[in-house]
Amino acid sequence: MTEHDDREMRDTLKQSFPPVNTELRRDLWPDVLRKLDARQVGVPWYDWALVGLSAMMFLAFPRLVLVLAYHL
Amino acid sequence: MDLLQRFADGEIDAFETLVQQFQGDIYTWTVRIVRDPGVAEDLTVETLWRLYRARHQFRPEGNFGAWARRIATNLAIDHLRRNRPEQSFPTELAGVPQPDPLLQRETRERIQQAFCRLPAKLQVAATLALVEELPYDEIASALGTSVGAVKLRVFRAVRILRKRLSQAGIKPE
Repeated sequence: MTEHDDREMRDTLKQSFPPVNTELRRDLWPDVLRKLDARQVGVPWYDWALVGLSAMMFLAFPRLVLVLAYHL
Repeated sequence: MDLLQRFADGEIDAFETLVQQFQGDIYTWTVRIVRDPGVAEDLTVETLWRLYRARHQFRPEGNFGAWARRIATNLAIDHLRRNRPEQSFPTELAGVPQPDPLLQRETRERIQQAFCRLPAKLQVAATLALVEELPYDEIASALGTSVGAVKLRVFRAVRILRKRLSQAGIKPE
């Protein structure tokens, strides 16, 4: 690729993509705080139970991994 | 105590101060990559949340801005990977001058589509280098790679794009 080619493609792309407004319009701290609060909620016990049960099933019946992989 | 040390120790007030200092920079960087203000705001919030969650890995003598930018870049790349290939960048943005009207809308859309189908890492390198015209060393730092690797990604992006545009009967101006 020559410098000319590079410039040519740059011009084409710059014409195709409008410039974006790069200025942040609002304070995002409240959103961050909300997300921090939301994510602090622990994983419910039944999710852990499900994970444990799945692990036991895979240990007992390793071929289940193939069945699961097939369906994914 | 130093602000970054207090952040690493998990002090929420220190983190808020850092958010106020860096949210604009993270947003600006992200919107340049994803080119959608709404998505960029969401990704900025996610970046800030991840920074807080990973605070124990941060060394207070390190560069917080560079670390934040790298996480933001990775999240933007993941977003581009998940949202392809039908995604095209919005063409009408309020208060922003529009590109050359001579380039027909259909051609522009086809170029955008071809661009969005590039592998995400190539797309990001090409967006920052060719559309935003940012220095290669700045891009390399955010991508966590070398200047040579960024140049290679841009080279590959242009080569693929040129081939696809040529197949679509479009010749770069």
